[in-house]
Amino acid sequence: MKEKKDFNISRRSFLKISAGAAALTGVSLPKTAFARTEEQLSTLIDLSLCNGCADRQKPACVGACKAINKDKIPQVVGNIPEPWPRKTIEDWSKKQDVANRLTPYNFIYVHKAQIEGKTIFVPRRCMHCDNPACATICPFSANSKKKNGAVVIDQDLCFGGAKCKDVCPWEIPQRQSGVGIYLHVLPDFMGNGVMYKCDLCNDRLKEGKLPGCVEACPRQALLIGPRKEIEKIADQRARAMNGYIYGKTENGGTATLYVSPVSFELINKTIDKKPGQPNMKPQIVRRMAATDPLAKAVLAAPALGLAAAGALNWFSRRKELVKKEEKNNG
Amino acid sequence: MAEKILEEKNLVIRHSALELIEHWAMAISGLILLLTGIFELPVAKRYYIIVVPGLGWSADFITSLYLHYAAAFVFTAAGIFHLFYHGLRGEKGMIPQKGDLAASITVMKSLIGIGKEPPLHKYLPEQRLAYVGMAVTMLMLIASGLVKTYKNIYAPDMSHMVLLWATWIHNIFFVLFFLAFLAHMAAIALRPNWPMVRGIFTGAVRLDYARHRHSLWVNEIEQVQIVPRTVIDATPLPTADPAPDDEAASPPVAELISEDKIDGKVEQMPEDEKAAQDKE
Ligand code: SF4
Ligand code: SF4
Ligand code: SF4
Repeated sequence: MKEKKDFNISRRSFLKISAGAAALTGVSLPKTAFARTEEQLSTLIDLSLCNGCADRQKPACVGACKAINKDKIPQVVGNIPEPWPRKTIEDWSKKQDVANRLTPYNFIYVHKAQIEGKTIFVPRRCMHCDNPACATICPFSANSKKKNGAVVIDQDLCFGGAKCKDVCPWEIPQRQSGVGIYLHVLPDFMGNGVMYKCDLCNDRLKEGKLPGCVEACPRQALLIGPRKEIEKIADQRARAMNGYIYGKTENGGTATLYVSPVSFELINKTIDKKPGQPNMKPQIVRRMAATDPLAKAVLAAPALGLAAAGALNWFSRRKELVKKEEKNNG
Repeated sequence: MAEKILEEKNLVIRHSALELIEHWAMAISGLILLLTGIFELPVAKRYYIIVVPGLGWSADFITSLYLHYAAAFVFTAAGIFHLFYHGLRGEKGMIPQKGDLAASITVMKSLIGIGKEPPLHKYLPEQRLAYVGMAVTMLMLIASGLVKTYKNIYAPDMSHMVLLWATWIHNIFFVLFFLAFLAHMAAIALRPNWPMVRGIFTGAVRLDYARHRHSLWVNEIEQVQIVPRTVIDATPLPTADPAPDDEAASPPVAELISEDKIDGKVEQMPEDEKAAQDKE
């Protein structure tokens, strides 16, 4: 019964969120859910509302995510090939229940920060960055950003080299060895599994459904909606609580906005930072942004080459002409 | 036309300064692209490349990206310049001709001692074929690389289909480029090709080598250069239109390059030049 009620709450607030939000934006809510694949979406995570589901065994968002993705990873092979020469194998298949950090079997967890005697609960998952290096420099384009903002790894194309994890400022993607396409290519020398992370429940969005975590949250701490509106709501709530926003500028901007009454400076300082439990550094930079000017020069290079060819050809033609004339005259 | 015979120095100018700059701009940037392209794959940590002194940065994908972009700028500009400049000038020396495939096999056979090498143009038939292969490879890399670059700056959410095409074209032609580079190095390693290596560094090759191997080419240059020499000799110039005369003159010139004539020429070489040549 309770499950049903939760479901209804989120269903009613589908993408246009709470009554307050509707009042704020003045936009009428769409009556029917439709596939959210083109419109840019954002998620709002309100830390003033999240209580870590203290009354439950497992936070509802985590449980929902686990349930949705429980069959996502195929059966891991019996003996995982040992990569050469560095022998790193990451196998979480026997620890699928771990829920307090990111693993290939757990895309969201609740990070706890003890601040001035109070516990702040921070649901953590992929931020779905606006220009995510994890996707743009994936050597196989297995990881890609969708029009709706979701950053999705195609597990059939991923070789598990973990480049995405290296370039993500929060090291979000997690590797499971012994699965994926690399097994069929050169498993000893190339690739090492598949990288997994939150995909914003893109398949559910396509069906017009809410992401599992958003739908499951009993306190509506998680909301999803059109980007502009979520940004408005985030600003409004932050102002109202005299609080802070995280994710707006971090890593060049993201599709996930945290709103918190406590500063993220403080949250970042207090949380345990371990593998699978990333930092929350405010103003974390998008390193690739600094390469953009050079990239623009590359885009201009063909025009430059062409112009130089034309100009030089013109000059040498003229020189030849002048020479010929001189010869004729002399 | 930069090509010129310097009889007294025993040299033929084979490449203009511009061509040398083009070649080396593309070669050096291409090598950097190859290396940083490899470093864009997650190999540096796995294969312990990071422990190699001076390569500590190899696992940092963003550093490699800076270098990859910088080299791509030179590579793309030089490649497009090359294509259009020489295209506009109608230079066809490196465009494959009919029969190049068969001729290149004959040349390759002769390199391993089977049969005799036919008289060659400025470029070997396999050079012309390799040139087209390399040009196509480079163009595919440039085109797909530009799509990927555009995506990195402006369109991280571009169509996944287009992106997958660009990515796989880039990856496949990267492998072909690597193989082409190895083949290029292998060609240089072959002894008979050594005299040409000097050409790509200094622009000139030995005249006796060129007469011996690239006789068709030297022949062409001589047809252009022969006139001034006649003037010096104070031989009266033919008053008629020189074109048919030239044509009439070509068969004897072609005869000139028969084997023993060349050997004769080499023997007549002044002592000091011969010594210089031996030193090489
Ligand atoms: S976000 Fe919602 S479901 Fe998740 S822990 Fe917080 S209150 Fe629970
Ligand atoms: S948070 Fe990390 S994994 Fe997620 S989109 Fe951003 S860079 Fe990629
Ligand atoms: S959006 Fe979906 S995949 Fe991502 S954390 Fe929520 S339930 Fe998991």
